[in-house]
Amino acid sequence: MRPIAWRSPTRHSRLQIVLAAIAIAVAVALPVILVSVGGGVSAHEIAQLQQTGYVISVSSAGMHGISLSHGLVSEFNAIPRVAASSPVLSVPIDLYAGGVTPTAVLAEGVIPDQFTPTLGPSEAGLFPSPLPLGDPTDLIHYANGTYTGPTTLDALISTPFEAASGIRVGQSIVLSPSANRSLGTAFRVTGVFGVPPSLLGPTGAFAVIVPLSDLQVLTGWARTSATPSSLLDASDTIQVALSGAAENDPSQINAVAAQIQSLVPYYGVTTQLQQAQQLENADAILTGFYLALSSVGLAVGLIFLAIVLVRRVESERRSIGIRRALGLPPRWIAVGILARGEALAAAGIVGGTVLGVIVISILAAYGTGAVKQAASLATYDPILLGSIAAGVLALACLASGLAARSAMRLDVVEALR
Amino acid sequence: MNSPSPAPTIEIVRVWKRYLPSTTPVDALRDISLTLEPGERVSVAGPSGCGKTTLMNMLGLLDTPTAGEVRWNGRPVGGRSERERARLRLTGIGFIFQRFYLLPTMTARENIELPMRAAGVDRAERARRADELLEEVGLAPRAGSFPHQLSGGEEQRVAIARALANRPGLLLADEPTGELDSAATETVLALIDSVGSASGATVVTVTHNPDVAARSHRHITMRDGRVVDDRREE
Repeated sequence: MRPIAWRSPTRHSRLQIVLAAIAIAVAVALPVILVSVGGGVSAHEIAQLQQTGYVISVSSAGMHGISLSHGLVSEFNAIPRVAASSPVLSVPIDLYAGGVTPTAVLAEGVIPDQFTPTLGPSEAGLFPSPLPLGDPTDLIHYANGTYTGPTTLDALISTPFEAASGIRVGQSIVLSPSANRSLGTAFRVTGVFGVPPSLLGPTGAFAVIVPLSDLQVLTGWARTSATPSSLLDASDTIQVALSGAAENDPSQINAVAAQIQSLVPYYGVTTQLQQAQQLENADAILTGFYLALSSVGLAVGLIFLAIVLVRRVESERRSIGIRRALGLPPRWIAVGILARGEALAAAGIVGGTVLGVIVISILAAYGTGAVKQAASLATYDPILLGSIAAGVLALACLASGLAARSAMRLDVVEALR
Repeated sequence: MNSPSPAPTIEIVRVWKRYLPSTTPVDALRDISLTLEPGERVSVAGPSGCGKTTLMNMLGLLDTPTAGEVRWNGRPVGGRSERERARLRLTGIGFIFQRFYLLPTMTARENIELPMRAAGVDRAERARRADELLEEVGLAPRAGSFPHQLSGGEEQRVAIARALANRPGLLLADEPTGELDSAATETVLALIDSVGSASGATVVTVTHNPDVAARSHRHITMRDGRVVDDRREE
């Protein structure tokens, strides 16, 4: 049985209907925007993480907290299925290129032949292979912790810095741990490397890469300052790449991580799977937060809908009374009111989704900075959007149920008087 | 095709109806007992406020008595659910109101088809029956007109057609000519006479107008909520 068609509302009630649909549309657009952009950014981060060449990361609390890095590389590489272990020391440093004014850059100390295998497919093309930093193993200068061997003093500069500074391969630069050129060391630029696109900011655009041992000596992270004879050999992280099928096998990744953890129980050992899981958990929490935030707007929209429908029932008392007097089934009348509420909600859902997509598109096209980047990463999860739509329809059913209940309680004799 | 409902025997047994407004209670009906035989043509007359419309509401199952009971073919209707009562109204009773009460957002044809739609009559049969009724009330050319495009007499003729749509056994007309001029009154009364005779339905007409009452075979007069006279013509 078809519900009754309720047509030709007055101009005033038409306005109320349009306003109710707009309120729902705006309330729907908000979660569409937040969830789609948030989900897109999160998915992008997870994808980036999964494209890195390393699958296990060893880190320590505090700056440059890993000690005896060169030694750990040998120990980690001795574990079956480990392809490379790349310690990385990241230090902000002053760079002098002829003049007396320094440029602040991020210096990264790496072991060349360990660093390259830990690059992901998207990063690999940005770096020369092999890295032209002289000693591929960085062991000549390190020489079992003596740091007495010949230094390489080769450096790679990032392409953004190359473009900005005009420094070319073959030129000399001075890297100094403090704003004092005389405390610095001269390096020769032997190559350039690209900077992978970074989400939400140009992190590390001005950067240099030097051999780990050179940077450790330059910045004082080779030995402890309290007892200069004591070996420190510091780095921030050691990224571990596995070989062959092991890099895609969670059980093997976890097994190697457990072995590494047993070697360095005092450091944090996390797998890429755990990091991805953490990101996904964070994304789920954020999505929940976005939905909770949006539910306030949605509640307002649905209360408005309920009020509009109840007011329409009030204004159509006579018409409802006639229908009931004629013997139209009460369920039929209720279904008509529910259908009207659901139709309004459906219009709001469609309008809100379209509005959300349009806003995201505008932000992606005309926004600036991080907003533009985030909007361009938006993804539309049909399950999540479908759940939002289903939730709104269910709540609209509840809201129109109030109006239907009021119609059912109408005193027919009173309504016809 | 929806088959005609047989005219029922309706009994009003010691019915009281008391309204409780904010001030003093009002007894609209006081201990009324009546039996309407199938096919009777009954007029109910009396001064304003004597309880005529309340009685019609009882007969039409729109209202429930405070005391006493209404029986439909011997079966009390008081215990029936609202759904059952609605079904009985839909298929067994046709209402003709003083103020027509057509739905303003529907055309004449849609107004006539509405009770049939609700009763589950299929589309083709609805259309056929609506054409037949529009023809019968002389409004076939106005089938697509909305109520505001019709004269009072035409509206009431559409209301009569709507009341007959499901071939009810009981036709209740509450001051059917109260808002019509004399020419339209004659047309409408002739129509009620004609359809009443043709269908064999019981017709109850509430009226102030002696000319309207004169068309019935049984005359009930009310005063202060009571039946003070109940005469059948020989």
